[in-house]
Amino acid sequence: MIELKRNQLIFRFPEVHKAAKCRISFQRTLRIPDDNRAYSLPPGLGRFPLNLVDDYTESVPAGWNAHGGVFLPMYQAEAMWLNFSGSYPMAVKVAAGKINAVTGEVWENELSRRPQDYVVIPDQPWLDGFSVMKGMIRQFVAMPLGEGYTAEEQLTGEAEHGGLQIVVYPIKASYYKRSMEELSFITYSPRIKQAPPREMGLAPGGLMRQEIYEDEYGFGAWETSVRSRCYVHIVNSLQFFGVTGAQPPSLPPTAREYTAAGLPWFDYYGGDLKALAGAEKLAGLDSVAAKKLKKGEGVLADNEAVEPKVVKRLGKGQVREGEF
Amino acid sequence: MTFGKYIRTAREKRFKEDRAYSVRQVAQRVGVEPSYLSKIERDQVAPPSEAAIGRLARELGEDPDLLLAMAGKVSSDVQDIILRRPQLFAELLRQLKDAPDQAIEEVAREIRDGDW
Repeated sequence: MIELKRNQLIFRFPEVHKAAKCRISFQRTLRIPDDNRAYSLPPGLGRFPLNLVDDYTESVPAGWNAHGGVFLPMYQAEAMWLNFSGSYPMAVKVAAGKINAVTGEVWENELSRRPQDYVVIPDQPWLDGFSVMKGMIRQFVAMPLGEGYTAEEQLTGEAEHGGLQIVVYPIKASYYKRSMEELSFITYSPRIKQAPPREMGLAPGGLMRQEIYEDEYGFGAWETSVRSRCYVHIVNSLQFFGVTGAQPPSLPPTAREYTAAGLPWFDYYGGDLKALAGAEKLAGLDSVAAKKLKKGEGVLADNEAVEPKVVKRLGKGQVREGEF
Repeated sequence: MTFGKYIRTAREKRFKEDRAYSVRQVAQRVGVEPSYLSKIERDQVAPPSEAAIGRLARELGEDPDLLLAMAGKVSSDVQDIILRRPQLFAELLRQLKDAPDQAIEEVAREIRDGDW
């Protein structure tokens, strides 16, 4: 069962365990420079507003009604990260345009052991992008579907799905009881009717230091007889009003503005957790800036390199929040 | 506070820091005559249309739903929602009228999974 509450997806599996619950939200953030330098983690600037597709059946693109789920507004070239919270271990698969963000493989509902194609809550507090190499991701950046930028289009040649797809599996109750003594409660705080709405997909942006952690529980720990899925559609912010009648959030600051204000960036220390190798398929993708040049569309705006002066090191349970 | 007074206070607050918030310039950006905006601010005319209130809200950084409510209006999207199931929503609103804000914010909606 999935619920929408305060712009968070709440996944519950009461049939497995009364504590089997986790929350996923989508954080607004600044777009890091896409210049092949590795950056620290950018801040969270608040949650994207989530809306039920079922509340706007007449104004959303036709295919969305069949998918169900939710939608959120993003400006072209705006970035986001996923914030996970909860103490009950969950295996979470995340795909963008039905391309797995950890492996680069095409969407499957089931979990894969080798290569591991999911992240584990609560070990993994955040996911900021596509895993391109060990300890390195490329930031999730929204681009219009059909222009060749998204991971989906670069890998499949099709602009069919866009958005994000998520499936969550809880750990077996027996494993939870066994590991209860080791686990402490952890909550990761966040760091006009017009043309038909344009669907957006996620493309790989700048490089960022972030590890995707290996499953420490073992593949047999997951309760694969139950699962909850959610399709998260993305609509261009400029058309959000036309769909919902509500205003989208304003544009986030640029990396340059944020850094110049002396505000913090972040590094995360995951303790003894082992990091997964990145996905070769994803490593071979063109970033947004590179693709733009290849297409002869000039340079990406607001893409100047920055030198973060304040980098805060965070550990488990610490807040990753911007102050802009 | 009346709608007009609220608008005038919000605009004058901004005008103190930025001269671009004069009656004339705000009216120009919102797409109404300065004399009309002046009358709105003095409550000499009824509040403007929903669209104009929306533009005023954006211009002054105010919440459009709040301004509409002060103008005695309900936004058309909310009207559409109620008109689709009028009895259900009327009853729901009556039940929630005295509920604390937090209880209303706690209302959760189930998300449907479809075919994909």
